Parts: sequence; structure tokens; C-alpha cells
Amino acid sequence: MEGDQDTSGFTLVTRKPCFGLPTACPNCLPAYIYLKLAQLPFQLAFNSTFPDSDELPYFETGTYVAYNNEDGGVIEKLKKDGVVNLDSQLHSQPEYLSLKALILSWLEEALAYETWVGTEGVSAWKIYYADLPWVISKVLFYKQTYMAKTRLGITKENAEQREQQIYKRASDAYEALSTRLGEQKFLFEDRPSSLDAFFLSHILFTIQVLPETSVLRCKLLEHGNLVRYADKLKLECLEAPSSSSSPPLHSFPSSFSRKGSKPKSKQKVEKTEEEKKFKKRAKYFLAAQFLAVVIYLSVMGGVSNDELEYEDDD
Amino acid sequence: MANPADKPDPNLTSPDEVELREDPEDINGGEEEEEDEYEGEDDDEATASKPQSREDAAASRVNAQNLFRRMGVAPVPVRVHDVIVKGNEKTKDHVIEAEVDGVRHATTLQELLEAANVANSNLRALDIFDSVKITLDAGPPELPDTTNVVVKVVESQSPLAAEIITSTKSQARSSSLEGSLKYKNIFGHGDIWDTSLAYGCDSSGEVGLGLYLPRLRGRPSPFTSRVYLSTQDWIKFSSYRERALGVSLGVLLSKNHELGYTLAWRNLIDPTQMASRAIRRQIGHSLVSDLKYSFKVDERNSALRPTRGYSFVSTSQIGGLAPDSRTLRFLRQEFDVKYAVPLGFYRSALNFGVSGGITFPWGSGYKSRASSVSERFFLGGNISPVCSLEGPSALWGFKTRGLGPNEPRREVEDENQSGGDAYERDFVGGDVAVTAYADLSFDFPLRWFRERGIHGHVFACAGNMAELSGNKYRNFTLNYCHILKKQEHDRAKSGFFLTFSTPSS
Repeated sequence: MEGDQDTSGFTLVTRKPCFGLPTACPNCLPAYIYLKLAQLPFQLAFNSTFPDSDELPYFETGTYVAYNNEDGGVIEKLKKDGVVNLDSQLHSQPEYLSLKALILSWLEEALAYETWVGTEGVSAWKIYYADLPWVISKVLFYKQTYMAKTRLGITKENAEQREQQIYKRASDAYEALSTRLGEQKFLFEDRPSSLDAFFLSHILFTIQVLPETSVLRCKLLEHGNLVRYADKLKLECLEAPSSSSSPPLHSFPSSFSRKGSKPKSKQKVEKTEEEKKFKKRAKYFLAAQFLAVVIYLSVMGGVSNDELEYEDDD
Repeated sequence: MANPADKPDPNLTSPDEVELREDPEDINGGEEEEEDEYEGEDDDEATASKPQSREDAAASRVNAQNLFRRMGVAPVPVRVHDVIVKGNEKTKDHVIEAEVDGVRHATTLQELLEAANVANSNLRALDIFDSVKITLDAGPPELPDTTNVVVKVVESQSPLAAEIITSTKSQARSSSLEGSLKYKNIFGHGDIWDTSLAYGCDSSGEVGLGLYLPRLRGRPSPFTSRVYLSTQDWIKFSSYRERALGVSLGVLLSKNHELGYTLAWRNLIDPTQMASRAIRRQIGHSLVSDLKYSFKVDERNSALRPTRGYSFVSTSQIGGLAPDSRTLRFLRQEFDVKYAVPLGFYRSALNFGVSGGITFPWGSGYKSRASSVSERFFLGGNISPVCSLEGPSALWGFKTRGLGPNEPRREVEDENQSGGDAYERDFVGGDVAVTAYADLSFDFPLRWFRERGIHGHVFACAGNMAELSGNKYRNFTLNYCHILKKQEHDRAKSGFFLTFSTPSS
């Protein structure tokens, strides 16, 4: 039940932002990125009380609404209704469909598995249930976990086998996409497509939302060019460079074998908000220390030595 | 569940249901020999003792007439020595004694008879006895002018009762047909457990388990509790369906004061995916934890067709009473004032009424947050405002939810609407609403109509709603409405139509 500032124009209704992303929901982020890549100006509105809905995200303008559970998803519906189509002329390309299948089935499955099963839903709590009371959250969490397992075909008997299959497919998909992408800016020449939106969303979610212990995250970080690709596009699509609220992706360790090493990179492209805050606080602290010393000295100087004796504190 | 808290009017109870039996020596110090007995006529099977011989019966009749004569002249002083309860195997003594307690305060025979009548009604209202008989017996011989009150009850042979009734529940907000299974007096405290299934006229439904206690911790405050799962369908009017799973508790503190608490998980969905923007923003889950206080005074001579008296109802609700700040936070206040003035001919009366209400959210960001559509006010429907005590909701001349702020629904290119009844707008309700009416009701000159309770009425009503951010059937009225003014999208109806008048519980 969030109020919007503007009733006219385009509005995308998604789940709430978190983890430094404009929306932390893996179903909503592709639509957001797609509209940004298409450079369509739009407002963002949030629904934080319906975590188990398949209608989100939805796009609205006037009395037109494109729900995510119609016509193959909100992006497909926007293409079909002629609102915004980044994939015109790409359908004829043979690789389009195969890449689409890789991203929308294997990678999507892997992400769903990792979110609800692999990491036991650790991130899901913040994404879906931050604004719901604990009682409701608990029930819906179990419901959504169960539904995810059903959708992925996971049973007690085949759990391990299915896990290996999912991770193997994800690895293969990363490999193929990494090879396909190289150092290009987009998957298809120099033009953005809906596949870039889906793929970028997948990478951002995997790196920024999933915990560092996530197997899928570690597999993704092995491919440096994918991380660089996401880093570049993220700057364009998500936040203006000066007000970025999340650390650049390449500052994360590029290999999971370097778990214990320092995460700071020598070449920072921009200062993060956390660092700015830290510096400000440090300045205040130093100023306070200095002031305390000055006051102490002035008080001590004004008091006679006979009346007061203080122990020196370190 | 029909509210057992509605006790039958003791004045309507036949005085024959109280039996008076006195031994001669104890009244007036034993000066006169009196053995007065008049038969009580129970509604159910008679449990009275066998009638005595014909001569004794004649003597009793004479003595009874004497006693009546004495009672007519002056108060007959008497004191209640003891209350004896008989016939209860399962029911606890204190439950019965609590209902009969009023007799202890009687100082005269007249008062005692009246108190005994009231006690009889109270016990019948518990709905756990097949028959109740109160007998006034002579007190101990050493204490003159005293009497023992003997309460003889016959507990229900079969504690299980099934019934099909029409009723209204606050959660359902509409009339409904309900089937229920009741299990009475399991623990002997007058407790009534019921399982019910209700289906409403507006496609709403409810399944529930309830408990009714006539007294709470010894206080004369009936207590009800209910666990329910309900669905209310507003798709046709506002494009959403409301589901709730919750528990509600209610205490009738006194005749005028009622306190209730509800904890419910509420879910608003739009299965048609055709909702307007305002309703789309409302879709989702919420936890409701709210306290409701009602103050009600109803001095009208009839709830269905008042011709004299006034009524005042004020209902205050506060939601969000939970340690979790994410529960639904709102404040809601309603009031309703009615006044009836008799005009003296053809049982006619002038009825006036004003009702209003306001709701708004509280908590951080309350100014920008929209109120929950479930807590808003909607006007219109087939309920007569003369009878409804539910705050601003009833208004002649407009269809259910047919008035007030509205928004266009989603536009789709394919034709999948259901034809005739398809509306293109959602009525989203108002945060503040006010209605007023003036009604002149009268009997028709023909006796045929009077005998059947058919009366006529001429009325004028007005209502308005703004954003800051129905229900019972019994009587049948035919109305002719001429709309004086309406806004562009209000769904009004002029002409002849039927409304149903029914008192609010």
C-alpha cells in the first residue's frame, strides 16, 4: 500500500529495494533494467505486502497494465503491446533463442534454487518479508520454499542429484555466456536486448544479494569478464555514478580461493557512501578528541593545584 | 450464531411461570392460614407436582385470590432466606445462582415475583435448559416472613443442537444464511460451543468455531470468542476479494458497552486482474490487531419501525495494537444518531437520522499512506437506514457500494467481460462519510395492510464521502426513489425497488 507521487506517465511496481539494488526481487529486477536500457523514463512504486504474488512486477500507464503473469512475463508483454521492444530483428538470429533458453531456464532455475534451497532462504527474508509481521512472514516463507522446491522438481530422494544437475548446468551456462560475451558491452553487438536485462539482473542478484558462501556466487565470480560486463552496465542502468550506494562489483574477490584476503582494491573508481560516512565520523571523532583535550587543559589551568588532585588517565 | 446475550424481555414472560407455594404459618406471623398456589404453565414439558385433590385445589384458588387482593392493597413484606437449585447435574450451581441473584434483593412479595420472572428469563436465555421453574417455598419455621426460592431446571437432554438461521456477523458485514452445530454446556458453565458455516448474499462465506460464555469471571458480562476463516467478495464493485483468518473476542460489559478484539491475517487479492490503480496498491497481506469499543443506547420502541424514541451508537476502533510495528495501523470512529417523533395518526412517525464516520492510518508516514480499503466507508445497498445501526453505510437510492470516490479499471483489448453487469469503474470507498435522512412512515388506511405489517413511507436522504483516504433482511418495503442529484459515476437507481429492514444486533 505505497503511495505514488505521480499518477501519469509510466510506473513500474516492484518489490522493495535492498542490498544496494533498486529492487532486490530477482523477478522484478530484469524489468527494471529492461526499461532503463530502453531509456524509458518511469516512476518506481513498491509493493511490499505480497511476496507470494506472481503478478509482480507490473507496468502501468493510465489504464494500461502489464502484469508479469500474462503473456510470458512483463517484458514479453511490453514487447508484444509495442510499448518498448529491444529485441526487434534479434529473433532471426540463431543464437538469440539458445541464449534465451540458457538464461531464462538454466540460470533462472539455478537462481531460484540458490535463493530458496541452497542458501536456505537467508536473503529471501530481507527481499520479501521486511514489511510483513513475523507470523505472516514465517508462513509465507515456508509456502514459497515449498513451491520453489515443487517447481524445481526437488524431492527428498533426488535432492542431491538435482542440486548437482542445477549447479552443473549453471556452470555450463556461465561458460557459454562468458565465451559468447568476451569483452563486448552487450550480448548482441552494441545494442542492448532483453537478454542483457535478464542476464545483468542474474549477475547482480547473485553477487550482491546471495551470501558469500553461496556456491552459485562462487561459480559466477570465476568469470571475470562477466563481472566486468555487469559492472559497466550497472553504472549505466542502476544508479548515477556519484550517488552509487553499492560497492563496485570488481572489488569483490574474483576467486573464491582467496576467501581470507583483503577485499579492498587499490584502484577505486568511486568513493562509496560507507567510506564517506566513515571519513566524516573519523573527522568528528578527532575534533571531539581535540576539543576534550583543550577543555581539559583550560579547566586544569584554571583550578589551583592545592584543591584538586587528578590522576592522569591514559 | 444468534446472540444469546439478547435476553428476552422479562416483561413478556408470563407470570404463570413462577410458582408460589407457601406454608400457612409463615406469612404475617401465622395469623392467617394461607395456602396459595397457582399453576405455572411451562413452555416445555411440565415438571410441576401432581395437582392435589379437588377440595385442596378450590381452597388454593380462594387463598390465591385473597393473596392477590392483599398484594393489590399494600406491599407484602417478605425476605428471601435461601436459593435452592435443583435438577442440575452438569451445570455448576454458581452459574444458575448468578442468574437468579436478583431475587435476594427483593423486600416485598411483589418485588420478589418480578425478580423471579427476570431470573426465569435469564435462565432460559442461557439456552442450556429444556425447562425452568422457580418456586417460592416457605422459609424455615423459626424465621417468619421468609421464603426460599427453589429453582428447578431440566437440562437439555441432547446438548447437541443444529440450526439454520439468517444472521449478520461483524466480520462478514452482510446478511448470510448460516448452518451451525452447537454443543451446549460441555463444562457446566453455561458454555455454548458452535461450529458454523455461513454463506452470504454477496458471495461471501465463513467457517468458524465459536464459544459463548454467559459470564466472564463471575461478572455478568457475556463473552464470545470466535475463530474464523472468511471470504468476502467485492469483485463486482471494487475488484477485490478479501480473505481473513483470525480470532475475535467480544465482551458485553453492560447493556450499553461492548468491547471487542480481533486478530486476523487478511489477504486482499484481485483474481480478475482488472482492478483500478488504487485497488492494485492495496493488494497483499496484512495483519490486523484491533480493539473496538461500542457504546449503544437504543430507546426506540421498535428497531424495525420506530415511532418513538431515540438511539445513539458510537463505535471506536484502533488497529495496530501489537509489538510488531508492521501490523495494520488505523483509527476509525463512527457515530449514528436517530430520533423518532410520533405524529398521532395512522401510527405515523417522523424519523430523523444522521450518521458519520472517519478513518485514517497512524504511525510513521501516516499522512502519505493510503488507508486500507477494508476499513473505509462505502455507501449504498439494500439496507434501510432507519434500521441500520452500523454507522454510515445505508443509503436509499444507490446500489451496493454505488456512491463515492471511484477510479477507472484496467483496460484490456480482448472482450472477456461478462456482459450486462460489467462496470468499468471501481468504487474505492471514502475515509470520511456522512449520511442523513428524514423519513415519514405511516400505516395504510386499509386494514388488510395493517394486519400484515405493511406500511408506507416517504423519505429524503443524502450522503457524501471523501477520501482523506449492508445487511440484514426481515421486513419487506417497497420504495420509490427519485434521485435529486448524483455525480457522474455514481450508480444510482430511480424508480420502484425493494429494501429489507432489519434491526442491527
